[in-house]
Amino acid sequence: MKVTKIFDKNHQWFMFGRDPEKPESIIDTNQYMIVAGERALLMDPGGIEVFAPMLGAILHHARADQVTDLFASHQDPDIISSLGLWDQALPEAKLHAPWIWEGFIRHFGMNNIEYVGIPDEGSTIDLGSLTLELIPAHYLHASGNYHVYDPIGKVLMSGDVGAALETPEGPIYVDDFEEHTSRMKMFHQRWMPSNRAKNDWISRVRNLDIEYMAPQHGRVFKGDDVTRFLDWFEELEVGTAVANNN
Amino acid sequence: MTTLTKNNEDKLVALASIAAELHTVMNVAYGVSLAAKNAKVISAQAGEKGLGFQPITDFIDEISQLAINGVSTINDNALKLSKISVHEQRSYDAYQRFQSVIKKNKDAAYIGSLAPSMVRIENHMIDSFKDFKNSMKDLFVLLEDMDKHMLSARAIASVSRVVTSDTQEFRSKLDVVANDLDDAAIFIKEKVSDSYEHLDHVKNLTRKHA
Repeated sequence: MKVTKIFDKNHQWFMFGRDPEKPESIIDTNQYMIVAGERALLMDPGGIEVFAPMLGAILHHARADQVTDLFASHQDPDIISSLGLWDQALPEAKLHAPWIWEGFIRHFGMNNIEYVGIPDEGSTIDLGSLTLELIPAHYLHASGNYHVYDPIGKVLMSGDVGAALETPEGPIYVDDFEEHTSRMKMFHQRWMPSNRAKNDWISRVRNLDIEYMAPQHGRVFKGDDVTRFLDWFEELEVGTAVANNN
Repeated sequence: MTTLTKNNEDKLVALASIAAELHTVMNVAYGVSLAAKNAKVISAQAGEKGLGFQPITDFIDEISQLAINGVSTINDNALKLSKISVHEQRSYDAYQRFQSVIKKNKDAAYIGSLAPSMVRIENHMIDSFKDFKNSMKDLFVLLEDMDKHMLSARAIASVSRVVTSDTQEFRSKLDVVANDLDDAAIFIKEKVSDSYEHLDHVKNLTRKHA
């Protein structure tokens, strides 16, 4: 599991991904962790297949009991199917996840961890020395969906928005935006169902001060590439499976 | 595939087989209960002549209720064993993954912080194993009780044939009830015996990884 520190000041952002031991048949995913003093938040911790490499990678940077909070942007298996294993590794932790998915996510196995349902309008996660904002991203792509915004580090963990289908050898950061759009186009057109939801999200996210936009698949956007992405996404028509079938 | 995983898979199949065997028993037991209620009506219609048959129809009704309740309890126990097996498998799976993390990340600064979780899972697996063994013992007792009830049912079927022979008027109808009871008791005994074999298999698998 490759680990990249994407922000490092009073608190740190770690990105985990590009796992060379990952079975080829499963989609590559990025997992993120914020370490803020004695507390750590693990975001979209991934599927069962990446649990062991993830846990191993985390223990190089944080103690197991330091990971007090988990976040799941939505209910998909590549996001949170490892929950049953985290439940045994971190029994005292809290899982922040969309309220509408609680009954579904619990199917992954959760006997110890506490489920904290995020309301539709969003919420915050207080890590003591750092407060994170949970930004609604409903229908992008799941019907209950959130992103994590760090106003101090100016980092937006954007879930499936900004995602690209990437090889394990792919670079961590977007280096040529125009070239990168070819890896994102189909993903967004097919997985994002609603132009209305897309535009609503863009208008709210444009008001945030973002230096890094970190998606759950593919590469991280830095600086001006964040605005380039928002402009590109605004122009893109999504929900094309319906349009193509009519 | 690890030995415990394979054992657990075999255990789950064996426990599901017990539930499947006993599902058919439930239908038969309901049939006998209905026949016993019909027999009660027949003996009531027989007036004084049917008086000798009344305790027997009461007993048939009672034994069919015992079979219905017994099968339900046995199924609950088999389900409990299945659930323990699933939990045991999940704990074992986590334990193996934790071991793999420790093996591959010996140089990790915080690898020692995983120790409390490992201990917790070990204790959970020990508790699950004890719980499984106790529940298995309970299930053996329940199956033995059911076997005894069916022996009693066969005995009462024989007695009822003698009694019905004294009540000529209703003999044919009550003979049918006695035969149904005997057939049901034989069928249920067979299914209990099969379930016993499945449970014995579970016991052997449990002993293997004790």
